Amino acid sequence: MESNWAAENLQTIRTLMERSALYRHALAPIMLFAGALGVAAATTGLLLHFDSMRAFGTLWLGTAIVVVVGVFVIARRQTVKDHEPFWSPPTRRVGQALLPPLLAGMCLGFVFMFVGLANPVTLTFIWLLFYGCALHSAGFFMPRGMKWFGWIYVASACGILCFLAVVQPKVEISAHWFMGLFFGALHVAYGVYLYLTEKGKNAA
Amino acid sequence: MNPEPFLQLDRVIHEKGRLAIMSMLAASPELSFTELRDALIMTDGNLTTHIRALQQEGYVAVAKSFQNRRPLTTCSLTPAGRKAFAEYINLLERIVQQSRPQ
Repeated sequence: MESNWAAENLQTIRTLMERSALYRHALAPIMLFAGALGVAAATTGLLLHFDSMRAFGTLWLGTAIVVVVGVFVIARRQTVKDHEPFWSPPTRRVGQALLPPLLAGMCLGFVFMFVGLANPVTLTFIWLLFYGCALHSAGFFMPRGMKWFGWIYVASACGILCFLAVVQPKVEISAHWFMGLFFGALHVAYGVYLYLTEKGKNAA
Repeated sequence: MNPEPFLQLDRVIHEKGRLAIMSMLAASPELSFTELRDALIMTDGNLTTHIRALQQEGYVAVAKSFQNRRPLTTCSLTPAGRKAFAEYINLLERIVQQSRPQ
């Protein structure tokens, strides 16, 4: 009897310690913002025919920088509103988890852009893979299925790359369609889902 | 069963609300008052009372500062609090182990 109580207490302590380490701020505005910019960038790329490697890379790396700055501003506004420190331990952990894959993806983007090692479609899927890995890593410190969201990117990138390698379609598909779908529409969809399901300002 | 570990449990930490606060703080260098309140779904008054009890025991340190011209209260475990929490966990583990079939 006494040991049951002690075991339950230990379990509660463990759960609380895990919850303490989670990033709890609302993610819906961040996802919607990133998604809206993704859709806008894809539309721009398609309409203005940014099809060369350099134009493609510049457009999307530029968009990525704007998204990072915007996400920083949104997160900062949330913490100010909630009277909380911005660079809290959970935020630091999420940042540390995101940084290596995102930095690696960005670096490869620059290299491919200037050396011309790959075409925009290949680069898109490399970015998807790195981004998926980044989300999955950050998912260990975030609630609400972030790890699954990361897996969607990784699995989609692997699946479509294999499909394209095997089938080698005759019709050329602009990489902007893939970018718009994964970095735009998918973020918007996840943002809407979070918006409808996150309770109040903090979704713990 | 040897009742000794149970009798040694720290009564200050043992209370449900205070144990929750100690658990949260043990996993983070510091947490703001609002973070604790929202995560533990406590009222301001309830949380203040528990934190004051832990502070009086020397287990929790409270720091008040300003961020963007707004008051910010942060709580953290003191070394004594961390030690007491570790001892409390050890005792719970001993209680669980004692009752396991040999």
